[in-house]
Amino acid sequence: MDIKKISDLLIELEEEKVYDAVDKAIEQGVSGREILKASQAGMATIGDMYKREEAFVADMMFAGEIMRNILNRIQPLLEKEGGREKAIGKAILGTVKGDIHDLGKDVVMIALEGNGFEVIDLGVDVAPEKFVEAVNNNPDAKVLGLSVFLTSAFPSTEKTVKAIAESGNRDRVKIMVGGAPVTEVVARETGCDYFAEDAAAGVSYTKSVYGA
Amino acid sequence: MAKSMQELYDERMDRYWKANHLQKPDKVPFRPCAAELAGKIAGYTAQQVTHDPDLGLDAVVKMCQAVPGIDATVVNMVFVNTSVTESYGLKYYKVPGIDLDADDSFQYIEPQTEEDAFMKVEEYDRFIEDPNEFVMNVWLPRTSKYMVPPGEQNTWKNNLAWLKNGIAIQQYFQKLGANVARMQTETGTVSSLAGALKAPFDILADKFRGFRGIAYDLHRCPDKVLKATEAVAPHMAWNCIATADPSRKVPCSHWMHRGATGFFSEEVFEKFHWPTLKMVTEQIWEAGIQTIYYAEGKWARNLKHFRQLPEQSIIFHCDKDDIYEVKRVLGDRFAISGGVPNDMLAFGEPADVKKRVKQLITDFGPDGGYLLDAEAIMQQDVKVENFIAMAQACEEYGYI
Ligand code: B12
Repeated sequence: MDIKKISDLLIELEEEKVYDAVDKAIEQGVSGREILKASQAGMATIGDMYKREEAFVADMMFAGEIMRNILNRIQPLLEKEGGREKAIGKAILGTVKGDIHDLGKDVVMIALEGNGFEVIDLGVDVAPEKFVEAVNNNPDAKVLGLSVFLTSAFPSTEKTVKAIAESGNRDRVKIMVGGAPVTEVVARETGCDYFAEDAAAGVSYTKSVYGA
Repeated sequence: MAKSMQELYDERMDRYWKANHLQKPDKVPFRPCAAELAGKIAGYTAQQVTHDPDLGLDAVVKMCQAVPGIDATVVNMVFVNTSVTESYGLKYYKVPGIDLDADDSFQYIEPQTEEDAFMKVEEYDRFIEDPNEFVMNVWLPRTSKYMVPPGEQNTWKNNLAWLKNGIAIQQYFQKLGANVARMQTETGTVSSLAGALKAPFDILADKFRGFRGIAYDLHRCPDKVLKATEAVAPHMAWNCIATADPSRKVPCSHWMHRGATGFFSEEVFEKFHWPTLKMVTEQIWEAGIQTIYYAEGKWARNLKHFRQLPEQSIIFHCDKDDIYEVKRVLGDRFAISGGVPNDMLAFGEPADVKKRVKQLITDFGPDGGYLLDAEAIMQQDVKVENFIAMAQACEEYGYI
């Protein structure tokens, strides 16, 4: 079967049909890695459509849901194949303490994964210690992304950056920050390295850090 | 001779009414939606204005006394009062002093997963059958720490929750009425709105299914989503009309969420959001009440639909849209408000604010149908001197 069908159906958000296509591909002996690649290509396209305002936050969320279900289906295959293909790099993402807005972060996660990065998602309302712990536990992650939607969460953004510095890992990770009220100035004042206007900017920055 | 409070009030009411109805008043009305900012001006923390209704409402009266030139304002813009919400253990707000610092504003926390959703996907049919039944028997016990659903073992906490909540609501609304009267008699200021509408789609998305839930449902069970908006619509209209201004002078409010450009496609807006919103807005208008469309975020793509509404039935409040574009698309049919960016009020200087106000008044004042306000509600991040500058600039340039 034409593996591209999986990414096309994913772009059209044809949930049941995508699952059928995936099941069929598995039956026909297509590798888990290939199915994953096709799905990621679909996710990357949806990410581009979002940037062009042809897809919307709701579409991104639903695509993410479909993607999770595809992953569940192909997980056994991937394990047999020795895991996923090596990602280009790894990024840690989370919404800072005091803030539970997660849509922006999730859009970034989908875009990064679609572009071949592995993402460790810490969720929302993440305390500085949790960020520190994740950075410690993932010595191969060169990028940390903070999502901030409340001006009242600027102080906790600053605390997070400080905590990472105190843990001695500040030089190892580049910190990017994004979210509705964030600006260049906020990024600078809170000690971050980069202000990402949108998910696409976050992806470009992550790529540049990895020299990809 | 100085004007009496009653004269001042009548003058302001006339100004407010005219601007809302697309006419040109003697002065552009200043109608700020000041929330925690009022507490900051009165010297109360966010915790105080959220927990103690006396202080919360008093803060607004104090603000009107301290800052001359406020024509109309919202008496309870800090709309969550914990005397009411904590009385029955409402789960979905984080409140200052309990979950947050004393000077943080209260926060609505949306459930993030299907397991935590206040309505599960398989409960659509029950909701559609009778939204009231669902709210009382399922939704309320789920959103309250103390209330138990019918059929389960009753508890003292449940009984007390009903009792305490009844008392708290009665006290709160008595105080609300008393402070609206104080605003009039002690400061000559109009209480700018009465009654609240939520779009049927918004209520479903915000308080029942959550954003993710509704995003999935639109693909998995679109017919049920549509039917649910239709089922809840009459309740939204009734709820609003029943609590509106009996004299029909001031509008009701509609805090708009999920129709903002970016969340859903235009097709979703046209099919699932707009039909019932249009219907309830028209019903409210037929009852003689205008609705403030407080359009949070950007609405550019969906603006044109609002033209279908009866002339003057709404006042369009502009947040992140280009207010000049809003004026061009809607200005011949509806009054508009807004225009001063909140980041300017938080980080800018009084001179910036005055300049912006002057520009807005010069551009929109002469046609009438314009009310001065910030883009979003004003919280504790607004600098008091910038708020004062806004009021002063309106007094200085507003008589056109
Ligand atoms: C949806 C929403 C909510 C939902 C959140 C649902 C959820 N699951 O996330 C709910 C209703 C729960 C909510 C609650 C609240 N909210 Co709110 N909310 C919004 C709203 C309307 C949209 C935010 C959003 O999700 N946009 C969708 C994303 C995808 O769009 P985006 O921003 O363009 O995303 C891109 C970039 O920001 C960037 N990006 C974002 N993060 C990151 C991270 C990295 C690493 C990178 C690279 C890039 C990046 O990439 C994204 C994709 O391109 C905004 C308004 C606005 N203008 O943004 C208010 C807003 C953020 N909320 C606000 C407020 C005040 C609140 C509440 C306090 C309200 C209350 N009193 O209850 C609570 C707080 C809850 C809490 N503790 O966090 C204010 C904040 C004001 C301020 N001064 O900070 C805003 C700005 C609204 C306003 N104008 O007043 N909110």
